[in-house]
Amino acid sequence: MSDSRWTMTRREMLGATAAALVLPLLESRPLAALTTRYNFAARVFTPAEFALVDELSDIIIPTDEVSPGARAARVAGEIDRRLADSLDPPQVKAWHDGLRAVEQLSREMNGTTFLKSTPEQRIAVVTKMASSEDETPGSRRGRRANPKSSIGAFYRQLKGATVRAYYTSSIGIHDDQHYKGNVYQQGDYAGFLPTDHLQ
Amino acid sequence: MTIVLTPPPEPKEVDLTETYDAIVVGSGAAGGMAAHVLTSHGLKVLLLEAGKKINVEAELRSMQWPYDHPRRGDAPPGWHALSLNEYNIRKPPYAAKNSAYKHVWSYVGGWGGSDYVKDILVDEKENPYTGTNYAWVRARLLGGKTNIWGRLALRLSDYDFKAKTHDGYGEDWPISYSDIEPYYDRVDTYLGISGFKEGLPHLPDSLFQRSHRLNASEIQLRKALLPMGRVATPYRAGVTTDGVKNKYRSKCFGRGACGRRPGGCDIHAAFDSPTGLIYPAMDTGNLTLRTNSTAYEITVDKNTGKASGVAFVDSQTHKALEAKAKVVIVAASTLESARLLLLSKSSQHPNGIGNSSNHVGHNFCEHLMGPGVTGLVKELVGKEHGNEDGRPGGFYVPRFRNLKDKQPGFLRGYGFEGSGGKSMFPDSTDRPGFGKAYKKEVRDYAGAFINMGGFGEVLPRYENAVSIDPNVKDAWGIPVLKFDYTFGDNEKKMAEDMATTAKEMFEAAGIEIIGVDRELLTPGWSIHELGTSRMGNDPKTSVLNQFQQSHDVKNLFVVDGSSHVNASCQNPTWTIMALAWRSCDHLADELKKGNL
Repeated sequence: MSDSRWTMTRREMLGATAAALVLPLLESRPLAALTTRYNFAARVFTPAEFALVDELSDIIIPTDEVSPGARAARVAGEIDRRLADSLDPPQVKAWHDGLRAVEQLSREMNGTTFLKSTPEQRIAVVTKMASSEDETPGSRRGRRANPKSSIGAFYRQLKGATVRAYYTSSIGIHDDQHYKGNVYQQGDYAGFLPTDHLQ
Repeated sequence: MTIVLTPPPEPKEVDLTETYDAIVVGSGAAGGMAAHVLTSHGLKVLLLEAGKKINVEAELRSMQWPYDHPRRGDAPPGWHALSLNEYNIRKPPYAAKNSAYKHVWSYVGGWGGSDYVKDILVDEKENPYTGTNYAWVRARLLGGKTNIWGRLALRLSDYDFKAKTHDGYGEDWPISYSDIEPYYDRVDTYLGISGFKEGLPHLPDSLFQRSHRLNASEIQLRKALLPMGRVATPYRAGVTTDGVKNKYRSKCFGRGACGRRPGGCDIHAAFDSPTGLIYPAMDTGNLTLRTNSTAYEITVDKNTGKASGVAFVDSQTHKALEAKAKVVIVAASTLESARLLLLSKSSQHPNGIGNSSNHVGHNFCEHLMGPGVTGLVKELVGKEHGNEDGRPGGFYVPRFRNLKDKQPGFLRGYGFEGSGGKSMFPDSTDRPGFGKAYKKEVRDYAGAFINMGGFGEVLPRYENAVSIDPNVKDAWGIPVLKFDYTFGDNEKKMAEDMATTAKEMFEAAGIEIIGVDRELLTPGWSIHELGTSRMGNDPKTSVLNQFQQSHDVKNLFVVDGSSHVNASCQNPTWTIMALAWRSCDHLADELKKGNL
């Protein structure tokens, strides 16, 4: 069992969280407006938090000329699902705190909440968050310098979760990446070796 | 496309009043091979497996898209996989009985797609161990770890079998390549292996079925290595690409995405012990299979001192039972086999059966992992990609150190496994930034990265050992293993060299270095535990003879990786099976002659 140890995404390989406590399943909160919009009831995020994550994720991976973005891929819902299933209170708290910090930053920079800010102002907030984070690509095992600030740490978490949820979605795999594998191949499958290039 | 696979054969009734010709303990690569060979000789065999038989196809769901799984492949809440950090900051046992998690697995459960292996890996809570830090990955079910193995299938050479003659360290094996070559051939033919002939003396070619293709970045590496006298060859996979005569297995259809999960193939193109060996053996009518049978002692005839059978507990009912046979074959995996021998104490064998040498549990060795490199092939950025992961693996760079040269800092060698090319989950998500520019970069850079990681030979040393810890018991009340195992200076020096040469090879290929890993992973990470009951000609310094037969107890055989005299740096599964085949041929012959 070897190859997959190197072909897994570099970040994911050590992605397991170190925290080791379990809390009772978090109380589900009804989400009248968003439930209608997404046909989905968030388990960890409040309606306001959910809307914020939804917008942040769509700023990180927006719709472009090739494919729909994170909102269409229901990334916020998958982040909430994974967070609820993690049964990991420190991680859940980190998200609540991180989202609060985003609002705080928005009020400092824009004088209003994130979602009431203009699109340009929202991007300015995310740009500020990103600038607090060292995004130097890591090695295979993804070791990078520790984040320089708590907002940088949250940006890293937010981007990582968005990326994971988006690129495991149907939109991410097919519409955006045009991934051609995971199909039965007939006859000389793509792995067939014409030996010429090996000489 | 319809794949028609035959369902498993109906199991025979287990009769514990019968004295079987042979009992085989363990159903992985070694135990499956023993069952196949002995039943083909007409012997009546009872195969005991500690784990259960599961519907493995339903478990693996090899082609399920992440978005079709309710949790994107994650295991249910409350299941936890150990991280590298947990292995390093704490000592085993890693999962306390009162752990808040419902179930805890080894790190393999954390590779993504953990839902697909949750019933294959053991629960660490039920299977503790103690001592030094060690990432011990175990799979208890019919077929053991072959259900999820990495399928790199390599041969050893006389650089390995005669390593002492070559460099003076350790012991030579009591066999040469010429002794085992015909059995490698048989394994190749019976089970199927794909690869490309290179004619290397230190990595002998197999009887290959058609290989897969290297991707563009891998070809670039191959071309750069040839003038350096090094090779990047297509991953030699224990996968049948042209098909084998076996109604339980399909040939490979390059369905791909084989790298995104811990392993496993639900059409059994990749070798696994149940479909490759055990089901056909059951079809001979000579094999009786009992799963849920956790062996804890090899019983001994008080008059002769010979093995008389195996005592085991039913894994589900915890009821103690016993089976009898003329010959006992231990194939429970390197460490579990040592545990079973050491637990089997009697007045005739006070140190454990077959252990008059005091070598059982010692000379424990494996492959070190950690050092490696990630690079970017700039020429591929923005290029169109086809189906590039529709294949069993990437590439392999065989050993090149200490063959003709002599390294000043360390003995023996290492190889690299790696891959490049586009995969289902893009390898480019580490790009900085966000927004449309980031999204385009992920698209443009996807498939432009290449990486490889080393597997190095850990020298066998007597002081690296496992023993029984009488104070800690597993869920069945059986004393557990205590580890006393560390890497030495040779391993550390070798690891430094691995990182250096990995970087140098990528640079030679014009690949931009993104990152170099230099640190060793926790011992055990390679899942290639070997040694602990080594073969040899001298009963004072070895446990088994060249036919994996106990020097002390002639009707006792240990046919798994325990018997290896050194680890070499090549992945061991194919050698385990070739050796087991050879030994079981000999065993059947000896039994017929009345010599056991």
